Amino acid sequence: MVSQEELIREARENGMELLPLDKDTYELFFGPQHMATENYSLILKLDGHRVVKAIANPGFLHRGFEKLAELRPWYTNIALLLRICVPEPDVPEAIYSMAVDELMGWEVPERAQWIRTVVLEMARVTSYLFWTMGLSFKLGVYTAGQWAAAYRERFMALFEQLTGARVYHIYTIPGGVRRDIPGDKWLRQLKDTVEYVKNKLPDFDNILFENYITYNRLEGIGVMDKKFALAEGVTGPNLRATGVKADVRRLDPYLLYPELDFEVPILKEGDSLARALVRRFEIEQDLYILEQLLEMGPPDGPYKVEDPRLKALPRFKVPAGDAYAHVEATTGDFGVYVVSDGGNKPYRVQIRGPSISHGIRVIEQLLVGARIADVPVILMTLGNCPPDIDR
Amino acid sequence: MTLEKEENIVRQILEKAPYAEGKVRRVRRIEFHIPVERIREFLTLLKESNFETMMQITAVDWIKDGDIELVYQMWSYTHAVHAFVKTRIPREVEKAKVPSVKDIYPVAETYERDAHEFYKVYFEGNEKLEMPWILEDEDREAGVCHRKDFDMLNYVKRKYKILDRFEEDKENYVI
Repeated sequence: MVSQEELIREARENGMELLPLDKDTYELFFGPQHMATENYSLILKLDGHRVVKAIANPGFLHRGFEKLAELRPWYTNIALLLRICVPEPDVPEAIYSMAVDELMGWEVPERAQWIRTVVLEMARVTSYLFWTMGLSFKLGVYTAGQWAAAYRERFMALFEQLTGARVYHIYTIPGGVRRDIPGDKWLRQLKDTVEYVKNKLPDFDNILFENYITYNRLEGIGVMDKKFALAEGVTGPNLRATGVKADVRRLDPYLLYPELDFEVPILKEGDSLARALVRRFEIEQDLYILEQLLEMGPPDGPYKVEDPRLKALPRFKVPAGDAYAHVEATTGDFGVYVVSDGGNKPYRVQIRGPSISHGIRVIEQLLVGARIADVPVILMTLGNCPPDIDR
Repeated sequence: MTLEKEENIVRQILEKAPYAEGKVRRVRRIEFHIPVERIREFLTLLKESNFETMMQITAVDWIKDGDIELVYQMWSYTHAVHAFVKTRIPREVEKAKVPSVKDIYPVAETYERDAHEFYKVYFEGNEKLEMPWILEDEDREAGVCHRKDFDMLNYVKRKYKILDRFEEDKENYVI
């Protein structure tokens, strides 16, 4: 067998530049092709299997969305911006539409608001199920992951009926939604699906969330406290796992959320387990919100604003000004800042992906001292979505 | 809906920072305009006034005015109010400098790296600016950025030679 020293010497002779390393540490490029990092890249310096230093290395998914958005008409940008984060494409649609609505001075009709709320909540449930799948795979509990994927598929089928597309919906548009809900049959199917998934949640508890192995793998790993989380700008379930009761749906209410009854689950520990459990409790709350919305039923009326300016979409102009809109996504506080100079294209669009705060500085600090096997788990429980950073 | 809460916050902050201009935009949105040399002082004041988190730093290239506008977007969990803090710096690369605020809001470090790479704004005191970020070395040397005067389409054509194929039949190819 060839020794490591020989390999290194051979590599140097062949012109490879190797970094000078200390005697006991070595460097490992973790990702972007590594399955467990989900297209994210980390440069780890390891001592044995312990991480001594971590450097986040983003940029592998960067497609210049912000610049591309400046070259396209206002409406066309919906089809572009939703590609930022795959598990939850409805969120960028919704925030961009809300910001444009504000610039246009439109009051979105009640029916459109109801549909948008339903779509956002469905997106949250699908995203959490997707996340459950990821966590299960990283912990080796493949059964739970396959269940989660199957239940997500039921929502995908409903999305397909509603919008015509499974993943990228292009459904929420400035002024309302693109088309009306398919009818009562769709509402009944949604109700059945919500009930079905709700009844299946205890199975996830049995196999994943109350599992001895999960506790051993997650408890006390990647701990952050409240003060650190606030200073680093951590939002969403990660912040709630440190004991801060913060939810955009309550603090900066949008759509129908002020009328809905739901709890904001919080835990105090701030470790990976707390983050996972907060997400588990949130699936339940989201299904409860969907139940309430279905009980309320869609209000009568138009599903988008009636405005003559919508007749000629490529020439559709937005008054000069700027607006910031944000919603509570499953990864955190997802925002967009839109600037218009009065033309038919945005002057500047900046997306505030939630992962940019916990995916760069926080992860570099949390990984120090963790084992190499914990790296994917910490990435997963933080809900890191690399395209948020590389938007 | 009344704007009493927002008006109170703006009044209290302006009392302590007479150099700033401030106004209420709508419910839960307030706005301040600050001269660039006092931005650190003002953000320290905002942090003391319970604006716990910085949401992002946006750079907007106002090419006609010859300015780059930096918008510090601040969020307060205590008041549930979003504040836009706007400041302007000259557009010329050697003059586009602003003090870093990463010791006040640690999260600003990442956004400063972003604004430095894509808008060539130099944040004095942020030593991570020169570290590799999103762009590759080749692109960075070619001056790739999001500024309005950078011709991205031509650069893409030159670099990847992909769009040329489509131009065989069309005289003007437009994305």
